[in-house]
Amino acid sequence: MVELSDEELCKRIAARDADAFEVMVERHQGRAYRLASSILGNEADARDVSQDAFIRLYESAGRFDGRSRFSTWFYRILVNLCIDHQRKNRWWRRLAPLAGPGGDDPDERAVDPPSNAAGPEAEAMLTQSIRRLRPALAKLSPQQRAAVLLQTQEGFSSREIGEVLKCSENTARVHLHRGIAQLRKLLQND
Amino acid sequence: MAENHPETELIPYLRGELSADERARVGAHLEGCAQCRASADASSAILTSLARVVDEVRDPDWTAYRAELTRKLRARQAGSATLRGRWRSRRADLRLPVFGWPSMALGTAAVAVLAIALMFHRGAGMPPVPGVDQLELQQELGSADVGLLANYHVVEHLDLLENYDVIEHLDELGPGNRPNNATAS
Repeated sequence: MVELSDEELCKRIAARDADAFEVMVERHQGRAYRLASSILGNEADARDVSQDAFIRLYESAGRFDGRSRFSTWFYRILVNLCIDHQRKNRWWRRLAPLAGPGGDDPDERAVDPPSNAAGPEAEAMLTQSIRRLRPALAKLSPQQRAAVLLQTQEGFSSREIGEVLKCSENTARVHLHRGIAQLRKLLQND
Repeated sequence: MAENHPETELIPYLRGELSADERARVGAHLEGCAQCRASADASSAILTSLARVVDEVRDPDWTAYRAELTRKLRARQAGSATLRGRWRSRRADLRLPVFGWPSMALGTAAVAVLAIALMFHRGAGMPPVPGVDQLELQQELGSADVGLLANYHVVEHLDLLENYDVIEHLDELGPGNRPNNATAS
């Protein structure tokens, strides 16, 4: 079961194979949760929304026609749920700003990223940049944020981002360009 | 004329998504445009940082995560099964026990036909509407009856057999003229 492709597992899930669903969840839970967390900026919301995405996957697996990659199809479900969730909670977000990586507890936010071989000074700058990136990300539009994160975290091409966001490849490139330009501007002003 | 900067193609260029022709065109532009080179360098730095943002997300307890997911899925399935069950039972309640929907339609049609037949039947039993001549005759007869009725107080005290003559000439009496024998009795 574990060696089956996503597409094959999806077919089995459509036939209500509980084991196939379990394997699929284990395979994608980390990426789905982390992407939802990056888009939503809240770990509790990321947990709920990513679980909802798996429930939708279970219910609509029969509609996956195999014309696109499974991951593109699944992340479309996930990203749409994230965007819907943010729209519903927009009024609340104005009152409660996006939490840091540690969730609601400010003492737990400072989680150092793993070190690399760039040297302590460059690493410190990078760490500082990452910490400033999160609140800056929260200021992007949901489409820009999703485009930027799908590219940097999932390695999606502009065409695949377009498929997820249901827009053309050129529109996806515009979302990416504007998202990155906005982040640069926000970080410069910070 | 403003220079056309390939702004939206810079990130695809950095990520190697462009075709050979597009890549050559953007590369040539970058060689001669310091502004776009600076933009590409800054974008590249941000993309690198963004890739690290994901490393900061702490994983939850995956066993608990999946257990919660399973509970949610079962609750949802139970909810939709309950809804389906309710709908089926409502449909069953609506269904007639023996004959079903076709017989209900037939019954409705039979009731409608019966109602129409009754309406026609009642229409045939009703007296025909009188013509103008008949109305005039009825009015004349009515006015004659009025004289008889005007002397009703005489008639009500008469012995029909003994006072036949009085009755025969009743119309000759004016209203209120009471025969003596009638008043005496």
